[in-house]
Amino acid sequence: MMTRSLPLIGLFVLGLAGLAAMTAAQEDDPASVSAALAPRAEGLIVARCSVCHSPDLVAQQRLPKDRWLATVDKMKHWGAEIADDEAELLVRYLSARYHPAAPDHLPPFDHELRKAEPLTQEPADTGPLVGVATRGAGIFEHNCQACHGTGATGGMGPKLAKNPILKHDDLFWETVLHGRGPMPAWGSVLSQQDIADIHTWLLTK
Amino acid sequence: MSESVSSSRRTLFKRMAEIIGGLVVWGQVRPAPAQQTVSPETGPQTVRVMRPYDAETPVREFTSYVTPNHRFFVRSHFGPPAPELIAEANWRLRVGGLIEHPLEFTLKDLKEFERVTITAVVQCSGNGRAFHRPKVPGVQWERGAVGNAQWTGVRLRDVLAKAGIRPSAKHVQLQGADRPVVASVPLFTRSIPLEKALHPDTILAYEMNGRPLPLLHGAPLRVITPGWMADSCTKWLTEITVQVDEAKGYYMQTAYRVPVTAIQPNSGLPGTSMVPVEAMVVKSLIASPVNGDQVGRGPVTVQGVAWSGEAAVAIVELSFDDGKTWEQARLVGEDEPYAWRQWQFLWKPKAAGAVTILCRATDAAGQVQPQESPWNPSGFLWNGWDRVAITVAS
Repeated sequence: MMTRSLPLIGLFVLGLAGLAAMTAAQEDDPASVSAALAPRAEGLIVARCSVCHSPDLVAQQRLPKDRWLATVDKMKHWGAEIADDEAELLVRYLSARYHPAAPDHLPPFDHELRKAEPLTQEPADTGPLVGVATRGAGIFEHNCQACHGTGATGGMGPKLAKNPILKHDDLFWETVLHGRGPMPAWGSVLSQQDIADIHTWLLTK
Repeated sequence: MSESVSSSRRTLFKRMAEIIGGLVVWGQVRPAPAQQTVSPETGPQTVRVMRPYDAETPVREFTSYVTPNHRFFVRSHFGPPAPELIAEANWRLRVGGLIEHPLEFTLKDLKEFERVTITAVVQCSGNGRAFHRPKVPGVQWERGAVGNAQWTGVRLRDVLAKAGIRPSAKHVQLQGADRPVVASVPLFTRSIPLEKALHPDTILAYEMNGRPLPLLHGAPLRVITPGWMADSCTKWLTEITVQVDEAKGYYMQTAYRVPVTAIQPNSGLPGTSMVPVEAMVVKSLIASPVNGDQVGRGPVTVQGVAWSGEAAVAIVELSFDDGKTWEQARLVGEDEPYAWRQWQFLWKPKAAGAVTILCRATDAAGQVQPQESPWNPSGFLWNGWDRVAITVAS
């Protein structure tokens, strides 16, 4: 009994230590700050910035905090849908990772860290997913309409209303989760329920 | 659901093939940027931004006088417009504002005007931005956001003359069909002073290197302002408005401006003393050898190009000792007013080991390429000495 619960306790202690280290690090070392913020910040970059431009434009900048602040402000002013707390997190992350002294070629985060954290947390027990068209309409408007047009009639991205991809669940999900061509991956932005809702709504168009 | 997603990957490619017909529409809507380049290192272009597609030409391509269309650098703020907007059946050029007769042209109408061809350098204002210190925001262009091409079209002044310019006119506003993804982003609206618009060498080009203007380069019609930076060379042109004032909006009133006098790095925007980027500054590039090359002890041909905005290239010099001494290169090939000039130098390396070759040009107006360009907040007009690091084999 004792032995079986030890690893769990160990994990818990490690987790606490990690949390403490992270908090301390946020005050000094930019590398630890950026590593700590990366999962959420990278997800935000996909969700909020790559509507208009691919994230490579962000990653090639090397700017001090005031310029990052000005840049995020400019983007908000131009219509990027960034909430205040998101903007604050983005500026902290961007100025820790892409600061003027950072090397031109930054080493990638290790695999686990690079996996962006979903912005919407899944409930523990998902059960079978049933899309809700009325919800899907709103989620589409907020996230997809800029490229796929009002009513999914197409724009910079293809028309999705009556698009054959809707009848191929697997390809639809693969494309939304992982991106395809100019379309960014939405796996770290939309929950599975969100995607199911969008899919159900698209089938009504 | 996650199970069905992962099982889907196994059959993904099969399914893709099955329904690819249904997705063909994608290809019609947007050019697939991936087709433009094989890889950033070995392809015809070095991609800076995948979407909207921004890519520069590897400098080794500049051993050729004319830069081929598929290798010519690509830059725009929003990417090409929707195809239906620029399809020949729908596309029109509208001329309005301070003119006697508002006009509308089809491409066929425009081809009725006298056809002119000009070989001219087109260069992004931010070419070399990556070399400014402190670093500045923007696409981090290095050396290849420039090219030399043969542009064919009609004189802007012939088009304006047909419309009849009113005496109060001072500026000509240029608007393309490209649109931002999000409607609240300002349009790329630009203007040039009337004097430049009426210059006989300012043209509306419908051909590039003898081919119809490619989509990424502004099909069906773009402005070419020879000697000036490419922010004046509006692509996908649809509207010309003759007016009293400069164009309103971000891309004319805030962006593409430089301080009149040098300012201290990071001292903030100097407010009223900012002027639009217009003429190019004198500049040269070493096209061969390229960075990282290993050359033998025998004579090595060093070659490249040099150009300036409104004057001919007079001298190109090379240094092999960090700028202590300079040796003059030979100007070769075509000599046309707005094109770049090719140059060559036969170099006999004195010793084995690492060497940095430096290059600088001087134009007929006496402008000399400086060691480093004056810092400016947006990193425009970089023309510091070009440098290539190579090794001489023992």
